[in-house]
Amino acid sequence: MHTLPQQLANGLFLGSMYGLIAIGYTMVYGIVQLINFAHGEIFMTGAFGALTVWNCLPDGMNIWAALPLMLIGGAIVSVLIAVGAERFAYRPLRGAPRLAPLITAIGLSLALQQAIFVWYPGADNAKDFPQLGTHPYHLGSIAIQRNDIFLVAAAVVCMVGLAAFVRTSRTGRAMQATAQDPDTAQLMGIDTNRIIVIAFAIGGLFAAVAGVAFGLKYGQITYNMGFQAGLKAFTAAVLGGIGNIYGAMLGGLVLGIAEACATAYIANIPGMHQLGGQGWANVWAFVLLIVVLLVRPQGLLGERVADRA
Amino acid sequence: MTDIPLTEPLQPTPLGTTHPDAARSDSFVTLPPGVARIATLVGVAGTIVSTFMSWTYTSAFPGDLTVNGYPGGLQVLTLIGAILTGLVALGAFGVKGLTWLVPNRSPNAVLLLAAGTFATTWYAVIAIAQELGGLANLNPGGFVAAVASLVLLVGTLGLPIDRQPLDPSGAEYYELGRLSENGPARGTYRWLRQARLNHGELPVPDPARAPAWVQYLTIVVVAAAGVKVLTYGLATGYTELFIGYLILVVFTLWAFIAAGLTRQFSKITADHRPFAALMGVVAAVAYPFVQNNEHWANLGVNILIFGTVALGLNIVVGLTGLLDLGYVAFLGVGAYAAALVSGSQYSIWSGVEFPFWAAALTGMAASLVFGVLIGAPTLRLRGDYLAIVTLGFGEIFRIAVNNLDGVSGPKVTNGPNGISQIPDLSVFGYNLGDPHQFGSITLGRFANYYLLMLVITVIVVLVFTRASDSRIGRSWIAIREDETAATAMGINGFRVKLIAFALGASLAGLAGTVSAHVTYSVVPNPYQFSGAAPPNSAFLLAAVVLGGMGTVSGPVLGAALLYIVPEKLGFLQRYELFAFGVTLILIMRFRPEGIIPNRRRKLEFHQDEALLPAQQALGDGTAALGKAGA
Amino acid sequence: MRHRSLLLLTTVLTTGALTLTACGSRSDDGKKSGDDGSSGTGSNITLTIGVDAPLTGQNSATGLGLQYGTQIAVDDANSKKLVPGVTFKVKALDDKALPATGQQNATALVQDSNVIATVGPLNSGVAESMQQVFATANMVEISPANTNPDLTQGKDWASGKKVRPFKTYFRTATTDANQGGFAADYAYNTLKKKNVFVVDDKQAYGAGLAAIFKGKFASLGGKIAGTDHVNTGDTDYSALVTKIKQSHADMLYYGGQYDESELITKQLKAGGVNIPLMGGDGMYSDTYIKTAGKAATGDLATSVGVPVSTLPAAQNFIKAYKAKGYPGDYGTYGGYSYDAATAIINAVKTVMDANGGKLPAMNDARAKLVDAVQKTDFDGIAGHVSFDQYGDTTNKQLTVYQVKNGAWTAVKSGVYSG
Repeated sequence: MHTLPQQLANGLFLGSMYGLIAIGYTMVYGIVQLINFAHGEIFMTGAFGALTVWNCLPDGMNIWAALPLMLIGGAIVSVLIAVGAERFAYRPLRGAPRLAPLITAIGLSLALQQAIFVWYPGADNAKDFPQLGTHPYHLGSIAIQRNDIFLVAAAVVCMVGLAAFVRTSRTGRAMQATAQDPDTAQLMGIDTNRIIVIAFAIGGLFAAVAGVAFGLKYGQITYNMGFQAGLKAFTAAVLGGIGNIYGAMLGGLVLGIAEACATAYIANIPGMHQLGGQGWANVWAFVLLIVVLLVRPQGLLGERVADRA
Repeated sequence: MTDIPLTEPLQPTPLGTTHPDAARSDSFVTLPPGVARIATLVGVAGTIVSTFMSWTYTSAFPGDLTVNGYPGGLQVLTLIGAILTGLVALGAFGVKGLTWLVPNRSPNAVLLLAAGTFATTWYAVIAIAQELGGLANLNPGGFVAAVASLVLLVGTLGLPIDRQPLDPSGAEYYELGRLSENGPARGTYRWLRQARLNHGELPVPDPARAPAWVQYLTIVVVAAAGVKVLTYGLATGYTELFIGYLILVVFTLWAFIAAGLTRQFSKITADHRPFAALMGVVAAVAYPFVQNNEHWANLGVNILIFGTVALGLNIVVGLTGLLDLGYVAFLGVGAYAAALVSGSQYSIWSGVEFPFWAAALTGMAASLVFGVLIGAPTLRLRGDYLAIVTLGFGEIFRIAVNNLDGVSGPKVTNGPNGISQIPDLSVFGYNLGDPHQFGSITLGRFANYYLLMLVITVIVVLVFTRASDSRIGRSWIAIREDETAATAMGINGFRVKLIAFALGASLAGLAGTVSAHVTYSVVPNPYQFSGAAPPNSAFLLAAVVLGGMGTVSGPVLGAALLYIVPEKLGFLQRYELFAFGVTLILIMRFRPEGIIPNRRRKLEFHQDEALLPAQQALGDGTAALGKAGA
Repeated sequence: MRHRSLLLLTTVLTTGALTLTACGSRSDDGKKSGDDGSSGTGSNITLTIGVDAPLTGQNSATGLGLQYGTQIAVDDANSKKLVPGVTFKVKALDDKALPATGQQNATALVQDSNVIATVGPLNSGVAESMQQVFATANMVEISPANTNPDLTQGKDWASGKKVRPFKTYFRTATTDANQGGFAADYAYNTLKKKNVFVVDDKQAYGAGLAAIFKGKFASLGGKIAGTDHVNTGDTDYSALVTKIKQSHADMLYYGGQYDESELITKQLKAGGVNIPLMGGDGMYSDTYIKTAGKAATGDLATSVGVPVSTLPAAQNFIKAYKAKGYPGDYGTYGGYSYDAATAIINAVKTVMDANGGKLPAMNDARAKLVDAVQKTDFDGIAGHVSFDQYGDTTNKQLTVYQVKNGAWTAVKSGVYSG
């Protein structure tokens, strides 16, 4: 049985999730040049927000009916935290050297993670998350989960929606202008503060969608799931060209597929039989990043200013 | 870019009757000046007397506060606080012979000390009532202490406290944005801004006019007192005492700053830098002799290792402005390199046992090689990419050493089991693993390693200071400030950055060689980005930023605080990391330049505050123009 | 004026320093008398048993099981007055699963003149940095959870050259060698599995277990369909599942903790690979079944000792743990911790009996305790407790459990003999 199609599909699903989270990094970076390290935790809190909604709903409720409510609940939590972080932690530091907000972000990330760990009931172990059934569909030799279909569909919808929003709406164009040159944009009458808040909010929204998709896909969420996912998503954002929303999605997909292929095939290369497998997959992901940066420092799609938002 | 609302021109606030630039003093509680002074002194006397009384009838509260006539535990802290408050108050009131305690004649120091005494006392009283279940457990002494310290606090609140100049109206818009339209929020905020104490600009006499021997003696006494205070804090046997200690120390230091004593002291140390440095080293050497306890020596070694690595990171982050998020990996490279040549039977070269100097050089060289390997390709890229690449390198390092065990990778590091049973070092025939007698004092294993690590720390401090004062150090700062301009001035940006990166890496590797021997083993787990305890990359970065970027003492102090405070505050347990995260956010928000600020850094962070009054003086139009162009 | 002020400064500082020093000695006295006072009678002494385990952060659920397992043993000993005249208490320190922190805790326990012996740590990597500290101080350390054979049998144990590195180190958990071998035997001979895929988490415990299973299974004649390693904290195993599917393995053996294995078994079954997952005592926990849900059905785990349900003492332990509402996970190592603490308490009694009913001076007592613990011999809640010449438990009783109807059910219990 040939496994390449299945591994590509595995990578595609994983990559869609990376991409969804990476958009949050890239939008914020594109506008305020800030690496929002706490974004992984915003993704995590979104998942916990959705789980709280599910636990509040009556037992035995159909998951398809509950899903919209869970998405809304997760989004409210994530967006509130993202916007709150911007308002009270990052904005006061806007003029400061760039290390200051970065340390704030690390602190925020620790605080959010620990807050869930300490105060969310039972979060010191993995928490169960409802799934959309666990029986796979078969498409030729590829087994696909319903949960994965949801993930890919969500990624496509979010991506198309965001592209339309940035290109056509007035706010979206204001975002592009702010990304290009915040001072000039402000002189042109754009309320840059509002634009920055919107960038954080959209990042939070997508993180919440990714958080719900994560819970559905793996059937469980943990308080520390944001760190790994955030690290990978940030890598994806840089890989695709940080500041570029299409690049973030592409970077995510490339990274996911690279990881799946590294797990499956590196060990088959003569002389590398010890350096393959799941254990080394993260290493190969970072090696890929470094190689791309050396060959193409601006990332795969580059930081094309026109598309940056 | 700053976002002053241009529609609202800057105007002197209608609240202030004086010019905003002028000095201002105002009491918090309106009392006749004489009454305030008397209340202060009465409060001091009452508090002192109370510590000689019994505070509670049972010895169940730690420290046994039941004895009459002999203060113990938290009472001692209250007593010290009260005595200091009294002396400083007398100095501030102009009593001859004590005025040197308050060089700037400001009563702010009295207020802060009184607040510290009050907080310590009330903390003790509340802790007694809470732990033993009710106020009934307090003896009269406890009530006397509470009342007297309250009188003291109220009295000092009635003194004419020096305040910051008033803000122009609309200043709150910076911080509050839309919230500034909300009455209560604006009122609270405005009150808080006005309540800020002013102690930065008050003039103090130049201590250089004092005789030289006085200046030297001051340095000696301060160093001795520093060791004493530190060892006392470490030796506090129970959490309540440590919290009381922490409250008192923080307020006392703040009071000394407010009195202008620290300014005078830093002037003295600046004038006698070699002597001050020598005294610092002597104080550090004295630590294991004064605090003759293996556990605290062990803690001391770990703090020194952590602090030294933070100092190395300070070259990269603080001086050169490069963001390294995987720095702990270099510590790991050094530790693993030293472990491999240590003669441990778990090393793949188990026959090889290098002497310490060779092992240290090996560790440094290994880290240097990795530093250049990582730095050379990525330092050509923009700054933010360095962050992600170093973060990736940190992860790669941890995963790789975990897998290089001959099963899932080449056999080098013995994988997750690590290299253990690393033999103790022997320097000039002095085996660091055995206890050694020095007169009546026995130096145990960890005290020996503490002294060895101290030598390494001194070397790193020397490297750091010499490098930062040199031509290359100035190039680093130039690169940090403006890379484009620096390059235009002929600095080879890439080369200079690579030197900083490699130097920082090799210093971490040097510290790593000692750490491998101290813990007897090296395993992959501790070398991660963020974890529960130092050293990991996030904590290292936090130590540098918390202490003060670009300074020598800052990161070491930051490292010590990050190590000691969680160690002593056992009650926080599961809240510890949460508290750490929140603290980082708050510090960045309110004191981003760190505890010990680099002068240049401080200006950078507080640009607005420094410029605002000056611009005000020029008139509205210029100010607005200046800001818009800034 | 300068001179006078200087004099004042020196006086103030000296006074301050003197007062501080005085206070230090006084509070120590106070503490001791406080201990005496709290325990009621004048002749009663209080002894502390140290615990070192990760009490916060990632491994804390298991680590807290160590702390409160010990706590229950101490409570039982105090209420039953196992050692007349001695009240035991627990001093639990958090090592955060870091070697340097563990070592610091070790020096703190050694320095504390009330601590007689220590239970812990959880992680083998932490134990490596602590063993020497305890050995130097002649203080007994009993780990209820370390499974790396190196810790007791030296580097070359596999080739038969066993050397005990530290005579103060004991453990109530069995080494990976026994468990891995027993599991391989069961998988090959009872389950008739011939083609097993082996995965481990690259931690000291999991990698050791998986390596021993692999060796034993191959030597029995089974085929290893493939091997892989994961990182702790990974969540996506879809690529691994595809690899396992392609290998046509009929069982997956996983060396590691339940944090990862519950995700692997779920993704395995969801990927259409319906083969059982087998693991060691690191995943013998109710949390595994709870989180993995239906996917866990049919999965197996080995654990040391006879099934808890056959021992009334063990049931009392679980009841006590639940009744007191202690946090953490008692399932994995709580029983071993209880036995480790009981071994210490019994040894204290032996030492005191040999000394005419009194405890010798602390340094002496600690040294004598090493010999007394070595001679431990009693029935604990996880089986018989005694130590061989390496400090390993002689309890070779192992049980295989399988998930049936949402609970671990014992399917085979026996003694593993190499």
